[in-house]
Amino acid sequence: MSLIPIPEDRRFKIKLIGYDPGRSRPWLERFVYSLYVVAFWLFVIATYAGVPALFDWLGWDGGWGYVVMRALQVVMLFLLSAVIALMLILALRKYLGKVQERYGPMHYGPAGGIQTVFDALKLLGKEDFVPAAADWLTFRLAPAVTFVSSFAIFAVVPFASGWTLADSNVGLIYLIAVSTLSAYGVLLGGASSGNKWALIGALRAGAQMVSYEVPLALVFLSVAVWSGSMSLGKIVDAQLGVWNVIPLFIPFVLYVISSLAELKHIPFDFPEAESELIAGYNVEYSGMSFAFFFLAEFVELFLLPALIVVFFFGGWHGPLFGLEPGTLAAGALQSLYFSVKTAVWVWIFLWIRATLPRYRDDQLMEFAWKAMIPLALLGLVLAAYMRLIWR
Amino acid sequence: MSSTIGLEPVLGRSDEMIVNMGPQHPATHGVLRVVIGLEGERITRAVPHIGYLHRNHEKIEESRTYFQVVPFTDRMDYVSGTQNELPVVLAVEDLAGIEVPERAKMIRTMFFELFRIASHLVWMGTAMLDLGAITPFLYTFWDREIILGIVERTAGARMLPNYYTFGGVRRDLHPHFFKDVAEFLDHLEKRMPDYEHLVLENPIVHARTVGVGVLSKERAVARGVSGPVLRASGVAYDVRKAFPYDAYPEVEFEIPTSDAGDTYARFWVRFQEIYQSVKILRQLLEKTPKTGPFKGRAPARLKISGERYRAVENSRGELGVYVVGDGGDKPYRIKHRGAAFSNLQVIPDLFIGAKFSDAIAILSSLDPVFGEIDR
Amino acid sequence: MSLLNEVWQAVKAIGTGMATVHKRVYEEAPTEFYPYVELDLPPVSVQSLALVENEDGTERCIVCLQCERACPSQVISIERHRNPEGKGFLIDRFDIDLVNCMYCSACVEACPVSSIVTIQDFELSTYDLHTLKADIDFLHEQARRSKKWYSPKLGVEIRTEDGRIEKAPPEMQPGGLAELLKPAAEEEES
Repeated sequence: MSLIPIPEDRRFKIKLIGYDPGRSRPWLERFVYSLYVVAFWLFVIATYAGVPALFDWLGWDGGWGYVVMRALQVVMLFLLSAVIALMLILALRKYLGKVQERYGPMHYGPAGGIQTVFDALKLLGKEDFVPAAADWLTFRLAPAVTFVSSFAIFAVVPFASGWTLADSNVGLIYLIAVSTLSAYGVLLGGASSGNKWALIGALRAGAQMVSYEVPLALVFLSVAVWSGSMSLGKIVDAQLGVWNVIPLFIPFVLYVISSLAELKHIPFDFPEAESELIAGYNVEYSGMSFAFFFLAEFVELFLLPALIVVFFFGGWHGPLFGLEPGTLAAGALQSLYFSVKTAVWVWIFLWIRATLPRYRDDQLMEFAWKAMIPLALLGLVLAAYMRLIWR
Repeated sequence: MSSTIGLEPVLGRSDEMIVNMGPQHPATHGVLRVVIGLEGERITRAVPHIGYLHRNHEKIEESRTYFQVVPFTDRMDYVSGTQNELPVVLAVEDLAGIEVPERAKMIRTMFFELFRIASHLVWMGTAMLDLGAITPFLYTFWDREIILGIVERTAGARMLPNYYTFGGVRRDLHPHFFKDVAEFLDHLEKRMPDYEHLVLENPIVHARTVGVGVLSKERAVARGVSGPVLRASGVAYDVRKAFPYDAYPEVEFEIPTSDAGDTYARFWVRFQEIYQSVKILRQLLEKTPKTGPFKGRAPARLKISGERYRAVENSRGELGVYVVGDGGDKPYRIKHRGAAFSNLQVIPDLFIGAKFSDAIAILSSLDPVFGEIDR
Repeated sequence: MSLLNEVWQAVKAIGTGMATVHKRVYEEAPTEFYPYVELDLPPVSVQSLALVENEDGTERCIVCLQCERACPSQVISIERHRNPEGKGFLIDRFDIDLVNCMYCSACVEACPVSSIVTIQDFELSTYDLHTLKADIDFLHEQARRSKKWYSPKLGVEIRTEDGRIEKAPPEMQPGGLAELLKPAAEEEES
């Protein structure tokens, strides 16, 4: 034989012939993924109905009890955002796989169902490395800023009637403030990395923010003018008859485009732009810090479509089949409607990601300032006129 | 830090940032390194560095016999397989006076055009990957996979088949070759509209490429570029028409040219070339005899004196070789004229003044393959 | 108006692109499930080299050193001695450095007796490069393990169930079309 004999069991095909990794079991795939959806739904119900009911039952519904209850809801939402991230990463990979004529993850868990859990564990186990050239404090702070600012959008999103953390009557202004903050996280992270690619990514994030923020604010204004309120709950209430997408079609289109830009999602992913800036602002991040950027991205990928649904597609409105609004069953049904509508929009975003190439950052600025802002103003004027005429 | 070779910072210019694009960069198609001066997003200076994949091809080939040279040439432009072998084979056939049967010429041309389609499909995928779209990459690679399968069934290897030899090709066609190619061409014609939708008709691709990286006719000629890059600048030069070789005189095809000279024109020309290749292949499928000789008589030991330059039009342009024989069985000198190498010379012309994102699009439209550039 | 038309064209083009992409969701992925399903490689595919013995176990190789001379990568090294009992030579050593081999099959072209052949076993990957210095026993083993191999002189040969070596049917042979077309041509003539 040769110098070192080749063991026969190295011929790995012999051992594994006959094992089917799951491509011919689509029912299993569907079952595993529907578990995620059920987990998401149960989390929503537990957060918005279960926790208040628990505190009611304990009799802690005043003073500090209220504070503790809200804090518990925030913790639940944090867990929910983890579920959303795991679910959406898996959905993205599976959908891109299907579109690209491949299978996506299919080895860990049945039909690849817990692949993303292992990915998250892998990221947790990695060294969280701070480069020598980085500014330590800012570098550490940036992922937190990014995540918190995305996560904070949860506070005003109504999952069903009354199912929201804070149905503030300045909800829209809060949204503008919070979504601007998330660009700060990217800016700080990129600029403090001590890496030229990250710096360019950060500058692009800044340039991008000043382009999409203005039309976004104008769109919010048109929604507020048409609905007569800045509270997200009232905006949804006002859509009982006709969804806002019909009267506010121009703001709707602009909002979708600005959402893509805010998400740093494919036609506008300039700060990340893996074929240009390698990984852009998060090129130096690793381990848990990187996981937080990732988590923030996918939480936003849920929340911005959710806001599209809230503003333009009637939020949680849908046929209630005689259920009394305000009860647990009605709330669960409403949150299901809301989630399904959101899922459709998430799918559209993933679809866009699968199709389109990247725009150029100065072209986005040009587009935003020369086309989107005039159109947003037009939309605002139209909304105001329509409000005067029809309401 | 010696990271700015060839591009020293200018004293007193604090607004210019010098970055290394490559050699490890996702969009440099391997190992190109361009030292770039950036003023915001605008490129002020650009100095390309090559040689990270240098393997000393020419010197190794000079120490091998003529028969042993051919498999080494495969390793140059590894995306377009047998196309690299042809210049050496043609030059040596000329010098040694080897006759090539008609059928062998046609087989060679069919493989040549199959690899042109394969190479352009790889270009399409990677160019779209550079522009940010991931999906076309997977589609084009599946279609290229079919070509590689056809090649493997006849030539024995997928990417580096070592198939051409002096006097013809190494082995006869697989019995299913004609059926396979005909099926593939039908399949490709069904797929091409998809690629048009995803690449040429896409408004974002328009925005990214139209008017970007304009290479004027004069500049293109002065820099010695060839192939689709030259034809996109309005010069209808194609070795297949200008100095026909193999079976090209017997087939009808057009040279697609565009006068725009921008990145989009280079994209467009490559698309049209795929259509032309399909046309050539369809004609050859009709014309090629199903059976017959695939190899002429070549002496077992070639002893050659004299010198010869032969060029072919490969997927990237004029791929030439200059062979000098001193009467021995090994070449005295071999010089390769790489198409991608010459095309890369326009980088400073096109990069300076462009946006950084444009630079990526321009580079992808030049379609460099570093196996051939660094040799 | 032309601006509106332009916008409409752009929206339409993006829509067509998205439809093109989504169409593929309903197509079966052509993925090969390689480790789970054995790959069916064409018989001429050059994946590794082997040294074929005759059916009776005698050596086909006549140790003429042609393959060693033909090798562009110079990875074949052979030592031989004269056969004391008869004509020809016997092998002392026959090594192929499969790490540096570039699988151009020049040795196979050069072999006058179709002893060194190309086979389809590509699963030689290893953590230790030394295991890829193939000696004569290894090359014989490779040939014994494979069901079919190719050499230009004899074409594709197959090993039958009972251990005999036969020429493969014309559907597997390069240029087998001539043989396949022959019956049809004869029928036409008659």
